[in-house]
Amino acid sequence: MAVRAPGLPEGAEEVSAGGFNLHIGPLYRLPDGEDGALKRFGFVAAEKHMNSVGSVHGGMLMAFMDVAMSRTSRLISGAPRCSTVSLSVDFAGPGRLGDLIEARIRVPRRTRTMVFLTGELVADGRTLVTANGLWKVAGVS
Amino acid sequence: MNAPPPGFVETKLADPFEIYVGPMFDSGEKGARRFAFRIDERHVNMRGILHGGMLMTFADMTLGWAVWDLTGNAPSVTLNMQTQFLKPARAGDLVEVAPELVRRTRALFFVRGDYKVDGETIFTAASVWKLLGAD
Repeated sequence: MAVRAPGLPEGAEEVSAGGFNLHIGPLYRLPDGEDGALKRFGFVAAEKHMNSVGSVHGGMLMAFMDVAMSRTSRLISGAPRCSTVSLSVDFAGPGRLGDLIEARIRVPRRTRTMVFLTGELVADGRTLVTANGLWKVAGVS
Repeated sequence: MNAPPPGFVETKLADPFEIYVGPMFDSGEKGARRFAFRIDERHVNMRGILHGGMLMTFADMTLGWAVWDLTGNAPSVTLNMQTQFLKPARAGDLVEVAPELVRRTRALFFVRGDYKVDGETIFTAASVWKLLGAD
């Protein structure tokens, strides 16, 4: 079901259906860029996502990156399940309350069993996080 | 379900996001603390497996807490984190860690942790923290 929340671009679709994603959500998939090569996701930073010094908690930023890369791995591989093998994150700048934080994910390489991803989180043109991830496609070895 | 495990007390969390995904528990003396959390239905994905995002959040909380202890509660920020996911965990499991200081300089703290369920490592994290105001 496509739901457009305040501050989100047209075509935003909620992807936080249950469990931890729903708990930290709502999280949205945004329309692809670059003819499908760029997968985009978004969430609006709310009070529950913050730390005590007024920035979005690093744990929330990493969790959102994990969701965005997991979802991209499934989209790219067509597999129903993919699991995180490793994820490295650099924190470049703080997220603020009310920011629309966008994940921009690319897949430089994939094999039958593995997906290699790079990603960044941006808000208002500022880079908050850069990341590299490695995902395993479930059910193939 | 959310009572402290034997030997642990509930950690007094301040960050709204940590309170929202908590509680967290700790045991032992400042500088050599162990931390734990019990996986519940809020922390898992649709397949009942502990969500990677929750593990990374717990890593950020516990390694940050270790740095906080080492600096005598000076403000610091996470610069980066590298993680490896070794084995799935499920609701009801207790995840434990004893964070380690690998090296410290005037401005930087290099910390890491092996996150365990029933004594078996399920996840590892290494992180660099910057002490604010130091150069």
